[in-house]
Amino acid sequence: MIWLSWRLFRIEAAAAAAALAAFTVLLAVTGPHLASLYAASGITGCHVGSCGQLADNFLSLLGDSSIYPVVYTLGIVGIVLAPAVIGIFWGAPLLARELETGTFRLAWTQNITRARWLTVKLTLAGLAAMAATEGFSLMQAWWAAPISQAARIAPNAPAPLGFGPFNPLAFAAHGVTPLGYAAFAFILGVTVGGVLGRVIPAMAVTLVIFAAIQVAVPLWIRPNVFPPDHAMVAIGSINGSTRTNINNTFAFTVDFLPSQPGAWITSAEAVNAAGQPASSIPAACKASGPSVPHLGSCLSRQGVRIDVSYQPASRYWAFQWIETAIFIAFASALTWYCFWYLARRLS
Amino acid sequence: MTAVLEARGLGKQYGRLWALADCTLSVPAGHVVGLVGPNGAGKTTLLNLAVGLLAPTTGIIEVLSGPPLARLARIGFLAQDAPVYAGLSVAEHLALGAHLNSRWDAGLARRWIGRLNVNLDQKAGKLSAGQRAQLGLTLAMAKRPELLLLDEPVASLDPLARRAFLQDLMEAVAEQELSVVLSSHLVADLERVCDYLIVLVASQMRIAGLVEDLLVTHHLLTGPRRDPATLPAEQQVISASHTDRQSTLLVRTRRPVLDPSWVISRVGLEDLVLAYMSQAAGPARHRHLEVQK
Repeated sequence: MIWLSWRLFRIEAAAAAAALAAFTVLLAVTGPHLASLYAASGITGCHVGSCGQLADNFLSLLGDSSIYPVVYTLGIVGIVLAPAVIGIFWGAPLLARELETGTFRLAWTQNITRARWLTVKLTLAGLAAMAATEGFSLMQAWWAAPISQAARIAPNAPAPLGFGPFNPLAFAAHGVTPLGYAAFAFILGVTVGGVLGRVIPAMAVTLVIFAAIQVAVPLWIRPNVFPPDHAMVAIGSINGSTRTNINNTFAFTVDFLPSQPGAWITSAEAVNAAGQPASSIPAACKASGPSVPHLGSCLSRQGVRIDVSYQPASRYWAFQWIETAIFIAFASALTWYCFWYLARRLS
Repeated sequence: MTAVLEARGLGKQYGRLWALADCTLSVPAGHVVGLVGPNGAGKTTLLNLAVGLLAPTTGIIEVLSGPPLARLARIGFLAQDAPVYAGLSVAEHLALGAHLNSRWDAGLARRWIGRLNVNLDQKAGKLSAGQRAQLGLTLAMAKRPELLLLDEPVASLDPLARRAFLQDLMEAVAEQELSVVLSSHLVADLERVCDYLIVLVASQMRIAGLVEDLLVTHHLLTGPRRDPATLPAEQQVISASHTDRQSTLLVRTRRPVLDPSWVISRVGLEDLVLAYMSQAAGPARHRHLEVQK
């Protein structure tokens, strides 16, 4: 059975190996120079106070080149898309093609149980899916280590090189989450393919479901895994932006909290001296006009501060493991369902 | 003699439709069994139940005295349209059989495929329907099965390939001691090779038995017009047609027909099967025991 699974899977495996090899070459060619730029940037061993500036300088130097932003983006996007591609091209056809072409009638009437047939197929392709995605991720993380270290402490770095660890793309591309996504997307494709029994519809449905989950998780699930920490900060002490509206209201967006480098800022709310939420511009500050620096210092004088909700960088691995565990749990449930479906429903 | 295939009250329902209903039969070992019926009669359903690809909704089916899934090593199966992996070569299909079966006979497989006159490296997707059926039969035969189940093996073949396939099958049956069940919607295909017949119509089993028994117990009666209900009770009317003056009846009876008003002739297998197939579909079980009106 291992022989047959491998024989039917080898084209897909070869495609993945080729993509991985091409990416490895790209990283190996550009990586050493990136590391030497980092070594020359002075970030290692920097004095507190100057680190942020050095990191900003390093990232803007990289940002000016034509190579690093492209390779970085290519890698991150590739890793984020890899599970979807695996779900669509490895997972969805695994059962659907057998059902569509009728070859399951050949396979399931040999002297081997359906459960063993499925076990071997799922193990081979599932482990390959996880290994390929995680391999992709580890290589990119190794290559991008200087960028990630600098982005963590750089207050003004532009995207994409300034992606902090909690940036939705960076979070999904690094750590252990690619393992969970790959396992889940693969078995999702297998399940949908088994239930629908046709390859093309199974691919489409797999894509829609997986894309919806990949959007929903960072938006609505991940921020609620832990209750956020709060910090009360003065208006002048943060990197971010202030918006004012015609109807005399204002709001802050906070991008970087100097006291919490690498933190994930989930929301920022202005509060007045009494600690109440504030959004309308006090009468005393109306004269300062729409010019934001003036408005900011005026609001500060009025006692307005910002209540920042954030997830500290120290929770990064807790977030990573919990999310991976959730996806692995769902993947396990779908695996169980596939076995049940094969034994009960497809008969 | 033990039964290779035994069903009791066997039924399979899809949604509200019964693909096979209340089927009770026992196929003795050592026969080439023809499973005949029009398209959609439940032949494929019965064979798929026999090989465990389907699970029954009602009743039980036993193959070689056990549940089908526990007997897969001893059953050779060729599914309808002979599915093969289009991307695998002929040789790789043989390797597949060797890897997935404990009793695989590589020599037999090579001998069979050698007669096929196909390139071993050819992709199975490029084979003709006849070659595909032969490849499927080779895979089934090389398992060295005790029971061979073939679902419409010759339906997609041209007359020449049909003859070649059935000839090969007969050689294999003679060579190895095995029982065969093959389905077809054409009696002509089965007449030459089968010695046992099962007629399925509209998901009901109409009749099952040895061909020679069927032939000696069915008579075509021609005589003056007469109401079939007036026949002796042991004469079961399978089909009746009337003109103004004359009646033609196909009756089944174990006793000789003594009424001198009848001209009695023997009936061919094809006419016999057609008579059963054209019976109006009825709801009752063991339909063949009822008297037709």
